[in-house]
Amino acid sequence: MTTRCDAPASDDDLLDYWTGAMPGTDADRMEEHFFSCGECAARLGAMVSLGTGLATLVRRGRVSGVVSRSLLNRLQRDGVHVRQFTVWPGETVPCAAFPGDDLLVVALHADFAGAETVNLSVTGPEDASFRYMGDVPIAGAEREILWATPGADVRRMPSARLRLTLTSGRPGAPVLGEYELDHTAVPGA
Amino acid sequence: MNRPDLAAATGCVRLTPVSRGCYGCRSMTQRIDATDGDLARVITAREPGSREHAETELYRRFAARVRLYGLRHLRDEESARDLVQQVMLLTIEKLRAGAIRDADQVGSFILGVSRTMAIDLKRRERRRDRLRETFAVEPPTAAPDDSTLDLDRLEHCLGRLAERERMIVLLTFYGERSARQIGDEMTMTEGNVRVTRHRAIGKLRACMSGAGAVP
Repeated sequence: MTTRCDAPASDDDLLDYWTGAMPGTDADRMEEHFFSCGECAARLGAMVSLGTGLATLVRRGRVSGVVSRSLLNRLQRDGVHVRQFTVWPGETVPCAAFPGDDLLVVALHADFAGAETVNLSVTGPEDASFRYMGDVPIAGAEREILWATPGADVRRMPSARLRLTLTSGRPGAPVLGEYELDHTAVPGA
Repeated sequence: MNRPDLAAATGCVRLTPVSRGCYGCRSMTQRIDATDGDLARVITAREPGSREHAETELYRRFAARVRLYGLRHLRDEESARDLVQQVMLLTIEKLRAGAIRDADQVGSFILGVSRTMAIDLKRRERRRDRLRETFAVEPPTAAPDDSTLDLDRLEHCLGRLAERERMIVLLTFYGERSARQIGDEMTMTEGNVRVTRHRAIGKLRACMSGAGAVP
């Protein structure tokens, strides 16, 4: 019977329960609640379904944007084929995606001193804007930005030079580094 | 004794599907307007005709909850499905035998059985792990999948989140990190992680339902 829940669990509580962040007695209470409340059980189910879908996408390399090093390590542990290019300010790096590459990751290094966030803009031939990523947090102790693109997307790209500009998220947005990716389309890839 | 008499004698309600099954639909799609306790009483009373509906409905209501419990504690889809089968079978057998005293507490009973059986399954899994280590056999890795979700749509919605939101969502669901751990990694307060995560999940939900575009 569908009855309204008297004390619906918050999304935060559901997530804390699911990720194991909720202390034991609270987690026990949460379980007792969702075994007696169909509404909250359904909400938890929907949340888990969303999470399962996200994890499936990631495992298939279908994730685009900036990722953290810990996430990348986890992906590699899970068997995702990652091709990584490391680039320093002023460098041009040749790159290509080959069959079997699930994910391409460009590791951008720079002097991030004083910056908590950065902006990354990617432009193609004739300065055409390719992608812009703003307010990117600098995660982890590595002080690097990892830009991930699905291998399937890169394989569809024609040969082109991409220019990457990393700016600080601070007022005035000083440039932290400029980089070039010399992408070669691999025939049959 | 006719049906209404039996219902009155056992204190049961009559089970009436509130949404009829349609041609080609499984009977599992029928919804019955009764409390969990009502269902338990009908199963125990062995009322012909209604009992099957009650068992189906009880399974429909609780199998998903037991699966979630199993996924949370066993972290493995196959084990979670095993748990569902074992728990629901035992529950229905106990109800048929009249061995559950307080029908209104059937949810608590199912949770208790889930807890006991999950411990047992974990113990067996540990034994299997030890055997694998001894004989160096790799376990079959079947990534959990969710066929009910439109992955293309989800990819589109995920791609439209802000970088910070996407990172937090992925660290939560794929990295299985708590808000505190994410905060440590991203140099954010735990509170900020929670707020950003809440907003990101709201955007994903809205985008998935088509109710709102992700800005």
